[in-house]
Amino acid sequence: MNIKCLALAAAVGLAASAASAEDLVLSIGSRGYGPTVERDLKEFSKANPDINVEWNKVSDVPGETRKLYVTSLTARSPTPDVFALDVIWVGEFAQRGWLQPLNDLIPKKEIDEFNPALVSAATVNGKVDALPLYTDGIHLFYRKDLLEKYDLPVPKTWEQLVADSKKIMDGEGNPQFHGFVSMWAKIEGLFMNWLAFVNGNGGGFYDADGKLAINSPANIKATQFMVDLLKKERLAPDSILNSRPDDARTLFQQGRAAFLMVQGFVYEPLAAKDSPVAGKFDFTRVPYFEGHEDANTTTVGGWFLGINPNSKNKEAAAKLVSYFTGHDQQLSAAVKDNRAPTRPAVYKDPKIASAEVLSKFGKDYNFSVVRPSARTGKDYPRVSDVMQLEITRALHGEKSVEDALNDAQKEVEQILGQ
Amino acid sequence: MTGTTSTLDRRMQWTGIGFVAPTVLVIAAILVYPILQSIVLSFGDSSIDGSEPYRFVGLAHYSQLIHTGRFWNALGVTLTFTAITIPCELLVGIGLALLMNESFRGKGIARLAVLFPWALPTALNALMWRWMYNSDYGLFNALALQSGLADRPINWLGDQTLAMISMSIVAIWKTSSFMALIILAGLQSIPRELYEAGRMDGMSRWQEFRQITLPLLKAPILVALIVRSMDALRTFELPFNLTDGGPVTATESLSLYAYKVIFDFIEFNFGAALVVVQFLVIFAMSLVYIFLLRNRD
Repeated sequence: MNIKCLALAAAVGLAASAASAEDLVLSIGSRGYGPTVERDLKEFSKANPDINVEWNKVSDVPGETRKLYVTSLTARSPTPDVFALDVIWVGEFAQRGWLQPLNDLIPKKEIDEFNPALVSAATVNGKVDALPLYTDGIHLFYRKDLLEKYDLPVPKTWEQLVADSKKIMDGEGNPQFHGFVSMWAKIEGLFMNWLAFVNGNGGGFYDADGKLAINSPANIKATQFMVDLLKKERLAPDSILNSRPDDARTLFQQGRAAFLMVQGFVYEPLAAKDSPVAGKFDFTRVPYFEGHEDANTTTVGGWFLGINPNSKNKEAAAKLVSYFTGHDQQLSAAVKDNRAPTRPAVYKDPKIASAEVLSKFGKDYNFSVVRPSARTGKDYPRVSDVMQLEITRALHGEKSVEDALNDAQKEVEQILGQ
Repeated sequence: MTGTTSTLDRRMQWTGIGFVAPTVLVIAAILVYPILQSIVLSFGDSSIDGSEPYRFVGLAHYSQLIHTGRFWNALGVTLTFTAITIPCELLVGIGLALLMNESFRGKGIARLAVLFPWALPTALNALMWRWMYNSDYGLFNALALQSGLADRPINWLGDQTLAMISMSIVAIWKTSSFMALIILAGLQSIPRELYEAGRMDGMSRWQEFRQITLPLLKAPILVALIVRSMDALRTFELPFNLTDGGPVTATESLSLYAYKVIFDFIEFNFGAALVVVQFLVIFAMSLVYIFLLRNRD
């Protein structure tokens, strides 16, 4: 077109090729996988002195990280070479050609060592597109000191949680103290929360026959309970409607809430030495509604490592993925940082017995529920957005719960029907 | 410019074109091309990586747009935000400019302080305010609760009406100083003699303002209005960082909605239709202002 454009293109080209052959950029948050990343990176560079890894610390709010990836991957940027993805993106990214299939880079024997359910969530058209790094799920954190103070049982059911909360709130008599906090802003975490609630009442996104059942009576009842928790029982602060996991965690950590319902990654900051609630809290499985003991109330997610198909160093990238997801690294992440491994063999390792917290997390995983990302694939972001929006409308009282879920059912049918 | 044009003139002309050409080409590359590309995208279906060929679908995306409630909501949010912030910014801006035009001690520092909000990046600003607005541990609620002005925490960003007001306050706080700056420049170009003449004729301060200051400020005010209105109609960083369009969709501007459609749902064609409509809204607004400006002469 003109010299200026050519010069610009040349400059961009030069900048890209200036990176040495063994430079890798790894994109992963600093909270999700905790201190493990730093430790793994140090050990990896010791074992592979010729590979230089730059850690691009991305946001720990998944939606924000996703936007970053979409921009880079649409533009076919060669970096990041390796990136951490939420389980709900793997199918979609693979469909769009944004993930390098790993079959030719990592031996089948190694891939077979992972939890088959997690691997299947990352398998599109028979190709494995990412390897699971760790899993995480929603748990109910509670103040054990307060339950003891008021001589209350650890709640197994939502009905019990309401009763416990009321007694504690009455006893504390502090308007700044709340019974229940969680992440009910219009984010993915709200949808995870909702799935835990509706499954706890015998409902779900699909019915037993696998048909879409967003507006089932069980779901309506459970969603109404969420609304009542906020509007009728007033157990939660109004701010719950714009609170993300860390906002809720902050309130709980400041000693201003009895119950906190978010993912397990908050354990680390809550238990930290300088945390006001250190030693005063514990966690349990997310409650169910009376009569649904066997309900799956632990909404789980998982983080995977994938390779950018435009990466200039795929071999080195595969080495990094193998290393991070390897047995020894997962074991140390489990023992030192309570990150749940994705290799069944790690759970059988005698060293893991010392990881008390982790084995407790593991018990909750027996009641796991996953988001419908595998079945909805490319459409998942829109499906999740509709669900977040309609649930938010019900929580704000803009619509009745029934109307909101009916509308959600209609809209999701439309999206999937296209 | 016919036969009588000298070689020198012609050479000058080419030099002129030579100087302008790079700018024109750059503008064409980064401005005209994307606009045309958006228009083309909005009339068709295509995949982002080019694996599927472009297929013309006519007005399909636009008719889908008309039936999408969230689009009308976003348009309403954008227009409301513009209608709230622009008049307030103008009033505060004029006030600040008049104040800065007076001579007083510490005038330099005052001018610097007024410019400060404008110098901060919007994203940073929004995050700072989000912290102050926080319902549970924010500055405003701490003050309101401690002083007894409120007995319950005010959910600044969690209530649908309040969120729009809270967002507008941030915009007014930040951009009034920009208005003030342009108006101040206009103020300083008004000849002192006019005021002296006015005073001799026994004008009051108010008459001075109405009959000398304001008429002579019309041009800078219009310029400031055009720039700010366009900014407000495109507002993105503020809702993105402050509220993420929430609660529900109460602060979801057109730009933010388009961004979600394009980057979250990865629907480039529908997103392009959205962007084209937004372009037309801004274009129409600009035409009104241009007409107003022309009327002046």
